[in-house]
Parts: sequence; structure tokens; C-alpha cells
Amino acid sequence: MSATVRTLLAFALFAVALAIMPKIFPSGTALTMMSLMGVAIVFALSYNMLLGQTGLLSFGHAVYYGLAGFAAIHAMNWVVRNKIGVSLPFIPIVGAVAGLFFGIVFGSISTRRAGTVFAMISLGLGELVVAITLIMRGVFGGEEGISANRAKLEPFFGFKFGPQIEVYYLIAVWCFICVAAMYALTRTPFGRMCNAVRDNPERAEFVGYSTQRVRFIAFCLSALFAGVAGALGAITFELVNAQALSAQQSGLVLLMSYVGGVGHFFGPIIGAVLITLLQISLSDITKAWLLYFGLMFIFVVMFWPGGIAGFIDQHRPIVRSGRFGRLLPSYSALALPVAGIALGVIGIIELAHHQLVEAASEGSKMKLFGIATDSATVAPWLALVALLAVAGLVFRAIWPKAAEAFATANAAARGAAP
Amino acid sequence: MSTALKLTDLRKSFGPTEIIRGLNLEVKQGERHAIIGPNGAGKSTMFHLVSGRIHPTSGTVELKGEDITGLQPFEINRRGLSRSFQVTNIFPKLTVFENIRCGVLWALGYRYSFWRFIDNLKDANARAEEVMDLIGLSARHETPAGILTYAEQRALEIGITIAGGADVIMLDEPTAGMSHSETDHAVALIRKISEGRTLVMVEHDMSVVFGLADRISVLVYGQIIASDTPQAIRANKAVREAYLGEEASA
Repeated sequence: MSATVRTLLAFALFAVALAIMPKIFPSGTALTMMSLMGVAIVFALSYNMLLGQTGLLSFGHAVYYGLAGFAAIHAMNWVVRNKIGVSLPFIPIVGAVAGLFFGIVFGSISTRRAGTVFAMISLGLGELVVAITLIMRGVFGGEEGISANRAKLEPFFGFKFGPQIEVYYLIAVWCFICVAAMYALTRTPFGRMCNAVRDNPERAEFVGYSTQRVRFIAFCLSALFAGVAGALGAITFELVNAQALSAQQSGLVLLMSYVGGVGHFFGPIIGAVLITLLQISLSDITKAWLLYFGLMFIFVVMFWPGGIAGFIDQHRPIVRSGRFGRLLPSYSALALPVAGIALGVIGIIELAHHQLVEAASEGSKMKLFGIATDSATVAPWLALVALLAVAGLVFRAIWPKAAEAFATANAAARGAAP
Repeated sequence: MSTALKLTDLRKSFGPTEIIRGLNLEVKQGERHAIIGPNGAGKSTMFHLVSGRIHPTSGTVELKGEDITGLQPFEINRRGLSRSFQVTNIFPKLTVFENIRCGVLWALGYRYSFWRFIDNLKDANARAEEVMDLIGLSARHETPAGILTYAEQRALEIGITIAGGADVIMLDEPTAGMSHSETDHAVALIRKISEGRTLVMVEHDMSVVFGLADRISVLVYGQIIASDTPQAIRANKAVREAYLGEEASA
């Protein structure tokens, strides 16, 4: 099967998945979550045009997401107020234009340099824009932000986009268009030169390319897609506030891309889906959810720099040559100690969080994993530390075997490959 | 024969230290010109000055009659001068083929095109395949460049340099660190790729220099002390004292 056919097939599957997801998960919560996933996918992929494709680490990508979100929400209100016959599905175009505009303005400053200087400027611009949003309350609505009513726009073939399911499909269509466009971009001369600039900017200059120009164009296009994501976010929430362009939002998109894997096109898609899922479900379960995100990020950076996509990619030749079964015994042996470590870490975090944050107001009695306990006593701490230690030691003992099994299977698979 | 490259009273200082001290050099079109000289004479600095990696303190660099002093590397490359590096300077994560194709794109006019699929560019792909063949790396098509052997990376380095079809090629120590057989291979390659082009190369291996060059210039302490045919250079007393010593007589 040729590469082109495989790609087309993958996109066809993606389209089908987007279309049938609401049939599998029809609940209101699920629809909202999947809508947010679609927004996050576009946002994370746009971020990876910078980080993964061009090698630009930005700490302020939410600026384009947020500013485009504001542009979109103002556009919605303006359209409603002046009774202009524009319907909701076209609002993301406003986001794209706004993202592109701010990308050109800020990119012309920040892309003059790469590396640390670029990262620092992106951070500075991010803070600057947040400060401006809080000062210009008329435009940005201060703390509350700006809201709109999406159902008041001109209906689109009878759809008013009141129900979440209609919004989901609006986002799904835009998500598909953006993913396809961003993928196509990686297959163009410009996309390839982005990779060249990422790998070796000096050499790129000596084959005729201005690295500054390559970075600038990549930045503008990335801001354009971030703008589409921002507008889709505005449509979903019917509200945009300074949170949308905050450093936390910029950090979140970095987390999504990195956990998913910046080295592969589809990595940020995995990251966006997973992080959105965790963000919504974890925040229901524990108040310390942000801490888990931080830990997960540190873990991925230290031990799993390829992210989830990197992990999948490592195993692809093994799966293809039918050798994955040989890894199962050693991998499943790891499951128990990994579960032990996870339980230990989660338990300690929850105990600490309860003792430090909630004990003062609610008392030190709590439920941990459904078991009644008291965070002010020594016993649960000791038990969890012991669990962590034992699981850690077992993991260390078994790990070399799993690593060896992987190395053997990998060597055999690569040897067998044509 | 017209002049391909002309350096006039070129000077470069790093702080108080003058590395290039009034360098004059003329390279004719179609010539294979070797630059030799002891370590620290300023050979690589001269390459950097010509190719735009660093800019001279004073003096001028002319490429085919046009003043290119102070231009950026990509501007100089677009005017038909391409160079290789002493330390291998490739795109390590891209495949060998992609490395070469990156060298082809600008010259064929694809520039920053993001509206065409790269795999559909027949001329770029054909040209890249040709270069792959020429440097003998066709079997390594899909190998990431970072995991090639040293000699293969050096060949790739030359491949990227010539891919764009520049008519002035500068090679910085193309055979450094190679075994005898690898060097022979590299010399044959350089001979092939420099046909019909102007070649300027820095090289320490005297058998390579005297085997390949039509003309040799000797750079000592930031100045060209002699520029002549290989026979004349071998016989030049000042050159023997300053640099060649035993090597030339051996």
C-alpha cells in the first residue's frame, strides 16, 4: 500500500470517527468534552507547527488563541446587533484572520531570533497581552470577559447551533479541515524547510533559505490555526475572558503537545484528547489536579521524551512483524509495580493536599481510595511510603528484563524488515 | 577566463586580534583552486568571510564581478556560491534524500511554497536522485542522516553543497579524518562534481592537493604569500620555509 493511499485511508477513518463519536457517546457531558477535544486538537497541532516542526519553543501561544477568541466573540455580537446574515460556521474565519494578523504583528518581532531569545520574547509578549486585556476593560470585559449568544446568528440551513450536538459537528468539520491542512503543510517544500531549520538553521542558510523568513511564515500560519481554535473555543463557551490567553493556557498547549509527542504529526492529537479528558474528569475527582499535570509533564520530559506517539512509533516495527506478543509477559509483569507506584504517589499527594489545604476547615479525617483514614496520623503516610518503596524496588528488579525483551524484539523486527 | 571569485585587501579582526590581514586572492572561472597553510592561518575564517557566515572588518569580496561583501549566507548562496563545512553540517533527523532535496529546492524556484506537495515536484526529486547517485548514497535513501558513517556524512555534506547547482563550490577540508581508501573515493567524487565548475578547497592532505588542484594559494598568518601552479608552489622557497617543509620534498 503506497504512502498516499495510507494517508488518505487514515483521514477517511478520522472523518468517520468524528462523525460517529456522538452516536457512541451521546450524553451532554460527552458532547461538550468531545467539542473541547476538537478545539484542543486544532490548538495543539498549531502549537506543534512551531515546536515539533520548526523547533520554536513558545511560552505564549495562547495569545493568538485568546485574541482570536475575543475577535470571534465580538464578531458574533456585532453580526447579531447589526442583523447581518452571517451564520455561525463562518465565525472561525474571523478567528483565523485575527490569529494571522496578530501572528504577523508579534511574529515580526519574536521570530528575528530562535532558541532562548524567541522563548523569552514569547513569554514577555504573553504577559504584556494579559496585562493589556485587564486594562482595556471595554474590549476584553475585565475579569468576567465578553459573552455572546451563538443561537442568535443567522441559521445555517436551518441549524441554529443551540444544541451541543450541532456545535459538536461544527467543530468536527473545522477540526477535520484544519488537521488536513496542517498535515498537508508538512508535505510541502515550506514544511520540509521548517524541519531543516529545526535540525540545522545554519545549514539551511547555506542552501539559500532565510531562516528568519521560514520561522516568520511558520509563526504566522501557526497563529492562524490557533486563531481558528480560539474562535471554536469562543463558540463552545459563548464566553471569552483573559483566562483564554493566559500563561496557564499557553502551558496547557505545551503539555498537550509534549505528552502526545512533538516528534510526530499525530502526537499532539493524542495529547489534546488525553489532556482534555483528564482536565475535565480529574478536576471532578480531585482538587489537586493541576499538581498531577505538573508531575505528568516532568515524568514525560525526563523518562519519555518522545511522548505517547514516540512510544507507539518505537513499537510499530515490532507489532508489524508480529512480535508484540513476546513483549506481553514482561510488560504485564511491570503492570503490578507500576500500579503500586501510581497508588503510592497519588495517595501521598491526596494525603498532603488534604492535610495542607483542607484539614484546617474540614478536619483531618478523609476518605482515600474509598477507605476512611486520617491525614494527621502517621499510619497512612507510612503505609503509602512503604507501598511506594516496595513497588519501586520490584520495578527496578523487573525493568531490565522488559528493556531487554524490547531490545531483542526490536532488533529482530528491524532485521526482518525489508 | 573571467574571474569567479576575487578578494581584495580583506581584513577581519576578533577584538584586538587580526586574523585575516589584508588578504588578496583571485580565482578564475572553471579552476580547481586549493588553499593550503598551517593550522590557525585563517583558512576557515576566509571561507566564512566569503560565504557570509561572518562579515569582514574591511575589504571586499566579489563573486563573478558582483560585490557580495556583507551579504547574508542565503543571499550569497542564491548568487551561485555554495560551501561545505569542516565539521559535518547536515540535517541529522531528515533522511539522506530529504537532506539533498533541501539543497535543491531554492535553486529550482520552490522557495517558501506551501501550496504544492513536495513529493509531486518531479524536477526536484529527479535532481535529488541524480545527486544521490553521484555521491554514491542511493542505497541510503531513507536512512536518517544522523546515523550514517563518518565518510558517508562527508559525502552527504558535499552532496548538499552541490545539489543546488551552484557554479562556485567551496569545500572545507573534504577528506579530513578519512582513511586512505575513503580519501581516494572522496577525491574521485570531488573531481567529478567540480567538472565545469569553479572549486575552491581547503585541504591538509598534500597528495589530494597536488593531485586535484590547477592552482594553489598558500595562506600564512592571514595573508596569501603565494598563488601559483602546483609545480611553482612546490618549488617556491618561501612556501617551503613557511609551510610545506619536508612534506613537499618527500
